[in-house]
Amino acid sequence: MTSPTTMQNSQVQNTQKKYSPLKEFWKSFKKQKAALVASIFIVLLIVVAFIGPYIAPYDPFEPNYDALLEGPSASHLAGTDEYGRDIFSRLIVGAKISLMVSFSAVFLGLILGTILGLISGYFGGWIDKIIMRSCDVLFSFPDLLLAIAIVALLGPGINNVIIAVMIFSVPSFARLVRGATLNAKENVYVEAAQSMGASHVRVLWKHIFPETISELIIFVTMRIGTAILAASGLSFLGLGASPEMPEWGVMLSSGRDYLGTSSHVVIMPGIAIFLTVLAFNLIGDGLRDVLDPKIKNN
Amino acid sequence: MPEHVLRVSDLETSFTRDKREIKILRGVNFSIRKGEILGLVGESGSGKSLTSLSIMQLFHGTTGKIVNGSIHFNGHDLTKMSESEIRKIRGKQMAMIFQEPMTSLNPVLKIGKQLMEAIEMHLKLPKNESKHHAIQMLKSVGIGRAEEIIYEYPHQLSGGMRQRVMIAMAMACHPNLLIADEPTTALDVTIQAQILELMKKLKEENETAILLITHDLGVVAEMCDRVVVMYAGQVVEEADVFELFASPKHPYTKGLIASVPKIGDNKEVLESINGQVPSPQNMPNGCKFAPRCNQAMSICHQESPPTVKISATRQCSCWLYVKKDVEVNA
Amino acid sequence: MPNSILKVENLKKSFQIAGGLFQKKQYVNAVIDVSFEIEEGTTFSLVGESGCGKSTTGRLITRLIAPTNGSIIVDGKEVATAKQSELKHLRQTVQMIFQDPYASLNPRMKVKELIGEPLEIHTKLSKAEREKLVLEMLEVVGLNAEHADRYAHEFSGGQRQRLGIARALITKPKLIIADEPVSALDVSIQSQILNLLKQLQQEYKISYLFISHDLSVVEHISHYIGVMYLGSIVEIGRKETIFNEPKHPYTKALIASVPIADPTLRKKKIVLTGDIPNPKNPPSGCTFHTRCPFASDICKQAIPEMKKINEEQSVACHFVN
Repeated sequence: MTSPTTMQNSQVQNTQKKYSPLKEFWKSFKKQKAALVASIFIVLLIVVAFIGPYIAPYDPFEPNYDALLEGPSASHLAGTDEYGRDIFSRLIVGAKISLMVSFSAVFLGLILGTILGLISGYFGGWIDKIIMRSCDVLFSFPDLLLAIAIVALLGPGINNVIIAVMIFSVPSFARLVRGATLNAKENVYVEAAQSMGASHVRVLWKHIFPETISELIIFVTMRIGTAILAASGLSFLGLGASPEMPEWGVMLSSGRDYLGTSSHVVIMPGIAIFLTVLAFNLIGDGLRDVLDPKIKNN
Repeated sequence: MPEHVLRVSDLETSFTRDKREIKILRGVNFSIRKGEILGLVGESGSGKSLTSLSIMQLFHGTTGKIVNGSIHFNGHDLTKMSESEIRKIRGKQMAMIFQEPMTSLNPVLKIGKQLMEAIEMHLKLPKNESKHHAIQMLKSVGIGRAEEIIYEYPHQLSGGMRQRVMIAMAMACHPNLLIADEPTTALDVTIQAQILELMKKLKEENETAILLITHDLGVVAEMCDRVVVMYAGQVVEEADVFELFASPKHPYTKGLIASVPKIGDNKEVLESINGQVPSPQNMPNGCKFAPRCNQAMSICHQESPPTVKISATRQCSCWLYVKKDVEVNA
Repeated sequence: MPNSILKVENLKKSFQIAGGLFQKKQYVNAVIDVSFEIEEGTTFSLVGESGCGKSTTGRLITRLIAPTNGSIIVDGKEVATAKQSELKHLRQTVQMIFQDPYASLNPRMKVKELIGEPLEIHTKLSKAEREKLVLEMLEVVGLNAEHADRYAHEFSGGQRQRLGIARALITKPKLIIADEPVSALDVSIQSQILNLLKQLQQEYKISYLFISHDLSVVEHISHYIGVMYLGSIVEIGRKETIFNEPKHPYTKALIASVPIADPTLRKKKIVLTGDIPNPKNPPSGCTFHTRCPFASDICKQAIPEMKKINEEQSVACHFVN
């Protein structure tokens, strides 16, 4: 018989080295080959977006009337457009616009949606009803239609595209976070924190928000893809970036007159949009396999 | 020589994880006679539930597999049978009830339908007879309004009622062996008492052998004829129930019995066993209990103890009972 | 008479289970009428089967939920009607230990954050001062300093419950509400935790409100016991009297139903017939009459009053005087 205070401490499993959540994450994420390749692609794209103007082989705005609508060649990797501008250079510089628009729109939507979702799920009652019914109203419009309506209301321009894409992101984030909050609220340790006297802000921030993070990370990556598509779509319709900007949607739009004769004018920005959106979705899928608790438990 | 319904010898079962084979059961031996209640006792991680799954060969969806040993049921080795042969035995000659009956009842089928399906499949009765049989079975487990219950869904019943239905279903084909894995753990004490009485009654009426798996020594003392104590995937002690509680031999059994608070004895401090069950990936050398044992000797940390026959009815795997002068063939 | 740390009177809680804008509202009475008192440094246990309202009572006292009616006096202060913002005193005086040591510890926090959290909430201590107290507390509950940087999932069930105890203890509360603290643990571990709880009670003069369905555990740890059935206490008294001379038929049946870990004491039990009634639709009169072997007409009609039958025992039954 032993008194409990003199219990041996050899009991803690000293099997593994120090447990670190980040290391665990990396260990499983490494196994997601497609997502890994996609992440490398996105990292490269981000680097390119930053240093674009310095590495672009040609000035993306400079017309060259000697080389109109030339197909891809060694001197113009992706060919030239109707003004003879180098499409490859324009894609490189345009990456910055596309990424900036989608990142900032999703980021703003994330913050607003998360706050609304946390409040809605945690407090419930009438405040939950108001927030969720408002989201339902926004949900009842198709994404792009809503964005078009918002831009039509605010006037065209990149900043308004950001606002539009943000607004149609908010309800999805709010709903996602609300669901995760409702789940997290059921955890006994949340009740434990309340019984200790933790304030609502503390409970939300320390005990509930961390539970929503993994779902948020997955959703954000997916959502960036959607945002790129939406922003390009708006620009394609002439509601976004101004026509001379090397934005991918704009390029798609201005090239469509030449689809029959010089299809590369449309295909090249199309491929850029396609690859980027695909990459974000692949990362999202990979992250889901690694992070999603519902999958992880199996 | 009494007739053995089930004899498990040298059973070893393992799981594969990250391409590594992890042995959970490391040589389990015991047998059950006709009409006997054998208690299989152990704490979480002792392998007692896996033993029952191995006997039933219910591994679907897991990497579990029997790697060694034999399970003789009515004289036939289950480990050598094909899946379809086992399926004929399972449910008919050998039935199982679980801790949480809700998980083993289909939530979208009415009680009667589920019972009748089992009866039709194994007893090959026509529909009207199987319905009659189902109602008979429900009545025999003490469900008075059996005629109504067969038209209800599992979620409409209380936990105790569901466990009665499970028992009715298990007993429907008059099996030779009933495996009950923590059958009353999820139930309230007054309901537990009802279910235990019921199991005793059914055993006496049908001469069914029962393998009762539990962590509750109270239930064991109340129900069993013989007891097998498991620790870390091995049997450490086997004895008649009266002998076991009167004079436990293995230090683990001693500790286990001493750590249960008993109504009526006013001990200030309870005994306890230091430490915890080792994880399967991290098994100590020698006797698996040695790190927690207060009587451990140096040999205990080096070599696994042999199983020592102490009397006709009991044996124990512990170096304390190995006679010094006898050569040991561990 | 020693000081009372907790005094609960006529506590009642009903939950709305259906209804709303267009439907008729329906209520279930989880706690109907509960009164008891806990003296400083003693253990009072609420025991009963599922649905009897013992856990709800615990959560009412910590004001995780608000009572419908009744009074809760914690260390001299009424908390039943206090607003959430006025509960600071309560939150420091009363701490909780939960049943499931796996679920009640945030898996994303390190041990030192987990155990230090109450200090962070209630004191203005610096991080270093908090950590010092956490390390001391780890020693007290039988763990040690090197465990402070680990996460809860790296511990076994018994050790996690030690962490839960350390967290409850760190603000030096006067009352700890322990809701089934050992029912998720293996027996050999369960006894370690019970011993620890007893030892801490002697060292720190804490009072416990111990909530459990396990009578053997309750008998071991309590000084006083309240037996609950369907939202009400049916019998209350000193542990010895409750176990040696139970008066209420339910208490008798409950004690008799517990399997004893000794095969020589096998006996024919008073097996209660029937199920526990659904609290949504409780029986009239004495709620126990549907299962009571002695029930008569009066039991179906009148709710029995709690009667003090001697200095140490009160019973709510028509046939006990």
